[in-house]
Amino acid sequence: MKPIKFFNGELHLTNENNKCKQMNTKKIMECERERLNKLTNFRLPHSFWSIGMAVAAISIIVMFVRAFALDGDTEWLRELAKKGLLIGMLLMSISKDKEEDELTIKLRMQSYAFAFVVGVAYALIMPYVEFGVSNVVHSGGEAYKDLGDFQVLSFMLLVQLLCFHTLKRYR
Amino acid sequence: MHNTIKVERAILSLTQDDLAKKIGVSRQTINSIEANRYVPSTVLALKLSALFNKPVNDFFKLGDDD
Repeated sequence: MKPIKFFNGELHLTNENNKCKQMNTKKIMECERERLNKLTNFRLPHSFWSIGMAVAAISIIVMFVRAFALDGDTEWLRELAKKGLLIGMLLMSISKDKEEDELTIKLRMQSYAFAFVVGVAYALIMPYVEFGVSNVVHSGGEAYKDLGDFQVLSFMLLVQLLCFHTLKRYR
Repeated sequence: MHNTIKVERAILSLTQDDLAKKIGVSRQTINSIEANRYVPSTVLALKLSALFNKPVNDFFKLGDDD
């Protein structure tokens, strides 16, 4: 095999066979890039927003009914309602806007970035706030405990949805 | 960046809604662009250019802070 030459910052192999291989690698990279773009830009149709809203609303109603009207072991129902709420909010979050254009895409990205940062800050600070408040209110108080996944995820989704809605209102 | 889209739109007697429909965006997006709250993509700028039949430079100008 002939030696490898560098030209314009790109790798060029002198062997004809290796040129073909390089072309294939470029095609594969391009294909991978397109696939990644498709995956990251994936959005559900707008109709899923209503479905998500319905799922989230039903889950919240189920949570209230379970807490105030049902007796016995209904822990499974609570877990189901939690999952339902997360799925509902996720559907709302990833469904397209009624008039989806580049501005709404930008606003959605802004809202995700904001929700991510606020969510991480919430997960870091909130356990100490809860710990501090419980110790002030009850003498002795509760032991320190981290937030659960449901609390963090539902908070992040809620912040994203509210932030996106607010940004859209003031666009 | 500032623009004269409102003037160009008035020359063609188009409402914000008409213009939005012609280039496939929402009315609020046109409003945001006209108010200099949003800088559109090159694709959108070229669509406007084709519609107004003028170069992009004629209705988009760089501001002092750009």
